[in-house]
Amino acid sequence: MTATLVGPSRPADLVARRARRRLLAYLAALAVLALVAVASLVLGVRDLDPATVWQALTDPVAGDVDHQVVREQRVPRTLIGIAAGLALGIAGTLIQGVTRNPIADPGLLGLNAGASLAVVCAVWLLGVTSPIGFVWFAFLGAALAAVLVFSIGAGQPVKLALVGATVTALITPLITIVLLRDPTAFNLYRFWAVGSLTGRGLDALTWLWLFLLVGVALAAVLAHRLNMLALGDDVARALGQRVGVTRGLAGAAIVILAGTATALAGPIALVGLAVPHAARRLVGTDYRWVVALSALLGPVMLLGADVIGRLILPHSELEAGVVAAAIGAPVLVAVARGKTVAGV
Amino acid sequence: MTTTLGAPTPTSAVPTPVAALRARRRRKLALVLTALAVLLVALATLALTLGAASLPPSRALLALVGLGDAGDTFIVHRLRLPRIEAAVLAGAAFGLAGALFQSTLRNPLASPDILGIASGASLGAVWALLVAGLTGLAVSGAAFLGALTIAFCIWFFAWRQGLHPIRSVLVGVGFAYLCSSLLAWLLASAEVREAASALVWTVGSVADVRGAELTTFAAGLALLATAVAVVGRWQGPLALGDDHARGLGVPVDAARVGSLLLAVGLVALATSVVGPLAFVALVAPAIARRLVDDGGPALTTSAVTGAALVLAADLVGQHGLFDISAPTGIVTGLVGAPYLLWLLATHGRKSQA
Repeated sequence: MTATLVGPSRPADLVARRARRRLLAYLAALAVLALVAVASLVLGVRDLDPATVWQALTDPVAGDVDHQVVREQRVPRTLIGIAAGLALGIAGTLIQGVTRNPIADPGLLGLNAGASLAVVCAVWLLGVTSPIGFVWFAFLGAALAAVLVFSIGAGQPVKLALVGATVTALITPLITIVLLRDPTAFNLYRFWAVGSLTGRGLDALTWLWLFLLVGVALAAVLAHRLNMLALGDDVARALGQRVGVTRGLAGAAIVILAGTATALAGPIALVGLAVPHAARRLVGTDYRWVVALSALLGPVMLLGADVIGRLILPHSELEAGVVAAAIGAPVLVAVARGKTVAGV
Repeated sequence: MTTTLGAPTPTSAVPTPVAALRARRRRKLALVLTALAVLLVALATLALTLGAASLPPSRALLALVGLGDAGDTFIVHRLRLPRIEAAVLAGAAFGLAGALFQSTLRNPLASPDILGIASGASLGAVWALLVAGLTGLAVSGAAFLGALTIAFCIWFFAWRQGLHPIRSVLVGVGFAYLCSSLLAWLLASAEVREAASALVWTVGSVADVRGAELTTFAAGLALLATAVAVVGRWQGPLALGDDHARGLGVPVDAARVGSLLLAVGLVALATSVVGPLAFVALVAPAIARRLVDDGGPALTTSAVTGAALVLAADLVGQHGLFDISAPTGIVTGLVGAPYLLWLLATHGRKSQA
């Protein structure tokens, strides 16, 4: 009561406090990402001390095994984790925003399955074997799956998730047919399908970063439009937005980002689901902030999953995709238990 | 029909409308079941005759009753008959389970494939094969345990003042993704030839089920089907809604939990023997309900429809589409998934209108 008497400074005060909180959350996420990146460089089957890592980065000694490990394995792995995590985090946010759907994710909506099928067909029919060659097929497959899923399930959140799961179930037997026919394809595919940050090398990133850039730029443009779209199609239209254009641009950005992530790290599910939820918890519902924070939390989750996977087994590694799914599945369960979804 | 219910029938010679309706339904059910049985026998005969060594029906049937020559008898009794039996039993189990799921959760989309129970079974079987190094019945046991574990997890995490259908489906989808990523990891970390042989457990096939496994399967199925017959009479009232069912004297909660437990048991049993045959549990009851069309759960018809479906799918997989013999689950998945998509597409249009 008395607080309202303080006067007009009160709302401004609130806004300032919220801005401070957002900035704090952003800086904290940045710090955590830096920490995870350092952990990813230092930890592993061969534990290195930070000084060695620093020397390997700045002043490498030729022939030193530790330095070689850092430069040829840890650095590419870390960079790929950051890039793929960034793409997945933003793609997840865009999907959830454009469909107004809390249970959306490139994996859940069948985009990963589409990309996988296209890659398998490329290996089988065209003899493509290099991860870089997978890229275009991953894009194509993800785009086709996205068109199929959105054309059937658009509008209803739960239905969209079900359509995604069904399209995945439709594509899985097609993949299996190819794998059963072609042992070579199976051997390549199984290491790709598990979702790993290793084995790609940096050359995949040398020009995929261009796609990443396009996707991020589109997301930055779209964030404000998503805020309006969150109020409903009619309100967004009344505010002067061309809803169809927003949807089309967002669809393009989602396919580009999800396709890039799949090309870099394989089909990784549930990172795109969990990250936007965490981001919304921290900075509220303004999509400009949610997108910006997801771009940090995505790498934190994926790279963190990779680091955990290196430490959890005594003599081998658990791939990032497996650990990420183990982190993401409880998030999906928690979201499904939430009141908003059960009411749908 | 309901309009005449209020007025007494004018002539006493004609049976009451309700009795007439019941008689007509019974006749229709008998007709549908007979037609399905004929179809099943025709498919089985076809399955006996087709193959690498094709036998004319007369020789196949002679061998079946033990009058053919040694070669024919071997082909029929050792190679083809077990496969047919496995297909029929698995199809019946999946069909029955699907009918129970769908009528209990009152949701035509409820299917063990989407619910993640099937992925749990796959994971159990692949783990047993690749990590524990088990073979034969032990693999089936692991698949059974995997399915039950996932079913329990879904129940545990989806329960919140009752089992909301959509919530349980979403929780199931979550577990399905968890299982499939663990599955991918198991396949990637194993030796390539072993991994390829375990691949069949991720789609399901009725080949290579014989002997003791088949007998155990049949016995388990008979046991569960008997229990379903007991619970099944509550399914009709349950379909009217909880309150009406309670008014009719049905122990609603017990009936629902019992039906779901039996359905999970059936899926776990069938999956542990033949692997997850995608979407049979979804499609068979849907076809059966449309055939019978009495608003009920159509349990028996679903079981027979499921058997016919799996048998037909196995025939197509063996001799039809591909130049390799495709596992049964691939064919059922390719038929079932588009059906579910169509269901989702039209379902939405109806509810939006």
